[in-house]
Amino acid sequence: MKKTKIIAGIFWAFLGLIVFIILFPGLNNFSVSVSKLPFMKINPRYTGGEKAYHLVAEKCTLDIRRPVFNGFLKESNSGFVQIDWRGDLPALINDSIDYNGDGEKDFFIQINRKNLKTDLKSFNPKVKDVVISTPTSYGWAVRVGLLKE
Amino acid sequence: MDNILKTTGMKKSLGKSLLYTLPMFLITFMFLTGGKPNFSDTASGIALLTVFILVNVLFFFMHFTGKTDKYRAVLFIVFALSLSYTLINNMLEVRKAMYFSQADILECKIPFCHLVIPMMILPAAFTKSIIFPGSIIGGFANISSMVVLWLVATLVLGRGFCSWGCFYGGWDDGFSRIRKRPVIKKINELWKWMPYAVLIMVILSAALTLMPTYCSWICPFKAVTEFEQVTSVESATKAGIFLSLFGGLVIVLPVMTKKRTQCSFLCPLGAINSLSNKITPFTVKIDKSACNECFKCVGVCPLYALSKEDIRSGKVSIFCSKCGKCMDACPQNAIHYGIKGVPSGTLKNFSRNLFLFVSYLFMAVFSAGSIINTFHGLLKFIF
Amino acid sequence: MTDSLILGLSSGSACLATCGMVMFPYLMADSANVKRIAVDLSLFLITRLIIYAIMATLAWHFGQAVFKSPVVRNIVPGLLYIIFAVMLVWYSISKSRNPSCPAKMVKTVSNKRLVPIVLGLTNSLGFCPALFIILTKGSTERTLVQSYLAFLGFFVGSSLWFLPLPLAGRIRKKEVIKNIGILATGLAGVIFLIKGLTNIIGGIING
Ligand code: SF4
Ligand code: SF4
Repeated sequence: MKKTKIIAGIFWAFLGLIVFIILFPGLNNFSVSVSKLPFMKINPRYTGGEKAYHLVAEKCTLDIRRPVFNGFLKESNSGFVQIDWRGDLPALINDSIDYNGDGEKDFFIQINRKNLKTDLKSFNPKVKDVVISTPTSYGWAVRVGLLKE
Repeated sequence: MDNILKTTGMKKSLGKSLLYTLPMFLITFMFLTGGKPNFSDTASGIALLTVFILVNVLFFFMHFTGKTDKYRAVLFIVFALSLSYTLINNMLEVRKAMYFSQADILECKIPFCHLVIPMMILPAAFTKSIIFPGSIIGGFANISSMVVLWLVATLVLGRGFCSWGCFYGGWDDGFSRIRKRPVIKKINELWKWMPYAVLIMVILSAALTLMPTYCSWICPFKAVTEFEQVTSVESATKAGIFLSLFGGLVIVLPVMTKKRTQCSFLCPLGAINSLSNKITPFTVKIDKSACNECFKCVGVCPLYALSKEDIRSGKVSIFCSKCGKCMDACPQNAIHYGIKGVPSGTLKNFSRNLFLFVSYLFMAVFSAGSIINTFHGLLKFIF
Repeated sequence: MTDSLILGLSSGSACLATCGMVMFPYLMADSANVKRIAVDLSLFLITRLIIYAIMATLAWHFGQAVFKSPVVRNIVPGLLYIIFAVMLVWYSISKSRNPSCPAKMVKTVSNKRLVPIVLGLTNSLGFCPALFIILTKGSTERTLVQSYLAFLGFFVGSSLWFLPLPLAGRIRKKEVIKNIGILATGLAGVIFLIKGLTNIIGGIING
């Protein structure tokens, strides 16, 4: 028994050595395999959710994402909808948004890119406030807080 | 004479030490240069060469002098400093500031660090997603490769990760070496369990809020890497917490106690790593027949991993990070690296050689990139 | 609900560390019968739930009556949070931590069937700083339902610790669990301390 334990221990240690030697040269391949695991995707609370609508204007485009209400065990009651403007944006952005696609405008948003001021006028009781409004590498992004119910 | 023989038990002759360094020399050469060193840019060439030599000289001295921690700590501390330099430099180059903006979070461009891992587990299991605004693959410090590195290192080294792999540990390790004698000698044993309490709290709060709460609210190393732009009372509070924890647990207390207090009393990943000590092949063992209970090891252990009772019972606690400081201090050579299943007091040299090769290889290769980068930056700055 | 669940979870462990050991022999008295244990544990938990529901109602009505202006609504509870949070932190770091539990009075109850109910009563009415924090929270919630949810979070969090009670005899590292629990309680205190401070700062800024 004692001998078996010793052999097993030494075997385990050598296995560790081998794993370490192949770890760095194989890191890229291992990482790619790990990245394919089903849970290896960033939560929509961070990515902003999938694109739901894509609107094209003269010089720029507007993406309205699917509302995000992700919670731990169940959906949470408060969430947000993210809107991205891309391309050659005007100094003053004015847009009326229908985020749920019911044909009714849910809110009006005005962004002054010079003084970074964002104003929101809500036409839907579920639309709360501006959570984030920021310039991005591709243009501008806004997250508007929503209530689910 | 007998005593001298015992104290110098791990020392090797010049020839033997060179021989033991040779495999490390070859492997680090391959890993650092990819087999083809590139000297087209002088500064890069010098940086690469310096780091390559530094890494191998330190390893040589571990064998030649028989001391472990003394040389490990050099690379470990340099690693921590250079990683902070690399991260800050990266932030300054890409963002022209040491903080990240809301846009960086929105575009998932935040570099990932292993301290997030405990908080990812429950949300990954229940929501099938990662609660961190970083990149899954590709780009600087992506999530997949950090997870692979940490997982493998923890499975093989256990809490050894905290002395051979963590790029933050070098900060409090460094500060703990500043004074010759500690000002604060005794600390309530209860605090040793704090990392587990922190672990439970951050796992729960992260799951319930789907936010890496430790990173957003607690991590002291935000002070030397990157943090959220201060735009509100909340972000100012966070910055205040980061700075005071860094000042208290990474600078002041380590200097006063000569211990790694951040790692001992706060880090939740350290808690997980301690648990993994149970399954790793390498351990630290006490040869009771050689030990004369002088308790020098207890005094020097930087992680409160040894108590007099542990020595008497012949078992090192799960908090051990395999740093080797106790072994350097032991006049009897009684505390030593071991392999699970192998009785204490036997195969001491074999176990040490194997462990040092594995752990040092990990640290050398993991740290080389950022140390080279830092040297390169310094050279460019000076000349 | 999140913070009350966390508070319940963390303080529940300390609660178990002090009261659990008093309750255990009574709940488990003269039987290893799983059914009996399950019934007793359920009675104990239901009693706690009822008491908490009553407290949630009272606290909310009290809050409605007393915290009328928005400034008072922020500042007074903020101060209360700070006081109770400091008590909670103090409890976790104090060396002279008192390990007594009001549940001890159960010794005076002669009817065995009543024991779990009395335990539930004494446990939930044994006013500890964590309970005071939840009372403060319940009193400041906007709606009665939210006050119930806060207490429910606290109830669920703290009750989870009592579920493995039947196994208590078999858990080896009780001391370690107790230590971690006590420290977690202290951390929960720190969280509420910060909450209290932000309440007050918010109250001053908005007032
Ligand atoms: S305890 Fe944490 S910070 Fe310290 S070395 Fe380990 S992982 Fe790093
Ligand atoms: S017991 Fe020894 S090897 Fe382990 S952490 Fe302490 S000093 Fe380092």
